[in-house]
Amino acid sequence: MIDKITQKLEILSDAAKYDASCASGTAGKRKAGKDDKTGIGSLTGGTGICHSFTPDGRCVSLLKILMTNYCIYDCHYCINRVSSNVRRARFSVKETVDLTLNFYKRNYIEGLFLSSGIVGSPDHTMESMVRIAKSLRLDHNFKGYIHLKTIPNASPELQAEAGLYADRLSINVEMPTQPSLNKYAPEKDLGAIHGAMNTIKDKITEHKRDKTHTGRRPARFAPGGQSTQMIIGADGSTDKTILMSSTQLYSQQKLRRVYYSAFSPIPDASEVLPLKPAPLIREHRLYQADWLLRFYGFGLDEILQGTTDNMLDMDHDPKLSWALRNKHIFPIDLNKADKQLLLRVPGLGARTVQKLLSIRSYTKLSWFDLTKMRLPLNKLKPFITVSDYRPAIHLLDGINFEARFKQPKQMELFAANTAIQQ
Amino acid sequence: MKTITISAVPGYTEWRTAARECLAAGLAPENIVWQAGESLQDDLFGHQPAVLQTKQELLQQHKIPSSALAIFEVALCHSDTTRFSLCYRILWRLIFENRNLFRLKTDADILRINALVKAVKRDAYKMSAYLRFREVSHEGEEYFIAWYEPEHYSLERKLGFFQDRFKNMRWSILTPYRAAHWDKSNLVLEDNPDPSIYPNTDRIEKYWLTYYANIFNPARVKKNAMLSSMPKKYWKNMPETVLIEDMLKNSEARARQMIIKSNSGS
Repeated sequence: MIDKITQKLEILSDAAKYDASCASGTAGKRKAGKDDKTGIGSLTGGTGICHSFTPDGRCVSLLKILMTNYCIYDCHYCINRVSSNVRRARFSVKETVDLTLNFYKRNYIEGLFLSSGIVGSPDHTMESMVRIAKSLRLDHNFKGYIHLKTIPNASPELQAEAGLYADRLSINVEMPTQPSLNKYAPEKDLGAIHGAMNTIKDKITEHKRDKTHTGRRPARFAPGGQSTQMIIGADGSTDKTILMSSTQLYSQQKLRRVYYSAFSPIPDASEVLPLKPAPLIREHRLYQADWLLRFYGFGLDEILQGTTDNMLDMDHDPKLSWALRNKHIFPIDLNKADKQLLLRVPGLGARTVQKLLSIRSYTKLSWFDLTKMRLPLNKLKPFITVSDYRPAIHLLDGINFEARFKQPKQMELFAANTAIQQ
Repeated sequence: MKTITISAVPGYTEWRTAARECLAAGLAPENIVWQAGESLQDDLFGHQPAVLQTKQELLQQHKIPSSALAIFEVALCHSDTTRFSLCYRILWRLIFENRNLFRLKTDADILRINALVKAVKRDAYKMSAYLRFREVSHEGEEYFIAWYEPEHYSLERKLGFFQDRFKNMRWSILTPYRAAHWDKSNLVLEDNPDPSIYPNTDRIEKYWLTYYANIFNPARVKKNAMLSSMPKKYWKNMPETVLIEDMLKNSEARARQMIIKSNSGS
């Protein structure tokens, strides 16, 4: 005998699993105060804890569910579109609140990630979602993480209210261009999505102001910022188009994070969609490129330099590809190069670079030091010099140079969606 | 040769007292044998008093940087029985050899202590992540109990975390070596607790298992990614892991089913 909650949970968590963003973002620290006799939960600063991992390698950090999978829209890539004949269910406000609190108290989760199909109207849906967040915060004094996937066409007032209770708000752009949206999500409008993101961005800025002249701090507003998701490989967009779109979202809408989700087949799919899943390696390369753009000082033109079809190289990671096209700047002396240059060496991550800088202010880096740091020496070898090591000339110029980096099919995919820090 | 036995776990406080006295007495690391109580074969040395008498004036002689003490405090939560001698050796070298020793990231001792610190931090993080409470009723009130087996002495690293997060809940966390009991205002520690108070069931756990099974996407299995973040040694603490084997076994069929359905779609 399966009870009602189990049935609903099956349907509404199954429907939510296609959303890639599962991590809780950084939204500062928070906990119940000394005299607070009801508050439950905390934020520890930094990214949220991963409370479990499923066999798809994804971190389980939040209770990620749909409030309902009923929907009046007909987006082709979406399992919950109106023309699909999946089982439908709807959680009430109280059921969602109780489930969140019960999970939280058992240390299963960091909080709630609530998304929803559009039921009735965008405003009606958004209003119910806001009620859930509000009840958690005001009725139950919940201090854990709340992420609301806002409904793009809901009124600005509701968006504004959502930000008062949520740590993060997000709106999925789904496709990088309007023509793709027209084809796959006919009710969605890129202009309206950007507009809603801008509204939230302005609210965030407004609430971040210092204390007013009366000494009052403005209320918190989505301190974890905004994120979004793009589906990769359902439409014909190139990696360049996708990365240009995310660059814009980072710079103009000030998003904290763009998630890439390789299109995977869904039951009862529309015939507009490709039959095959998009390769996961493409998603992986896009995350790598995204990281290079945001944390390694690379420009989009550098990452795509020399590509013919505006697609990233699937054989090598984008940093190695760039290095192979720019052999003339290597080898780089790890004892002398500045931080920006060190960040460009294939095989050196941002943390390693920080470590190298710290060590070398006290002692000269030798090959032995590198071995002790457990670095990928084979990868590094052609690109670096240290006090007692220089790469043999033939390493950089040899005919087999590129071939030695060609890996057999078994590429290790890093779990792009874990809440582990970069 | 001096033998110092520390039988308390993790033993940071006891080590610090002993180390300061040894330092004041000018005892070089090679002249001390540090023994961890848990490593003793029998009780023969177990009752040795920790060390020389504490003399307040001795403690002032060497200034130990607080940043180093903070590192020792974490490292000493490791279950490695050589942790006490390693920390004393580093302490000695910090004072007599190089005040910036910790910056030499490729020094053998520093590599070792950093490895200990990293292991403890990871173990403690995993405890805050993978520990699961079960609910019982205690005098009509919710009472949450967890049984968790950390690899190191990680309970002490996470007491603050659990007190902050679950401040207004009554809870007990049991580990094989120590338990922490919180009654919403006071924390009581108990050595070698009785694991039988850990309940067998919980009224919400079935929903958690339902959620875990359904949030997984069978079309993108990455078993190794899961295992690298959640190695099997942690599974005993987590009720949902009983599902993993079946989830993996059925994933291919389920993914195929999704594609078949999608090809014959509406």
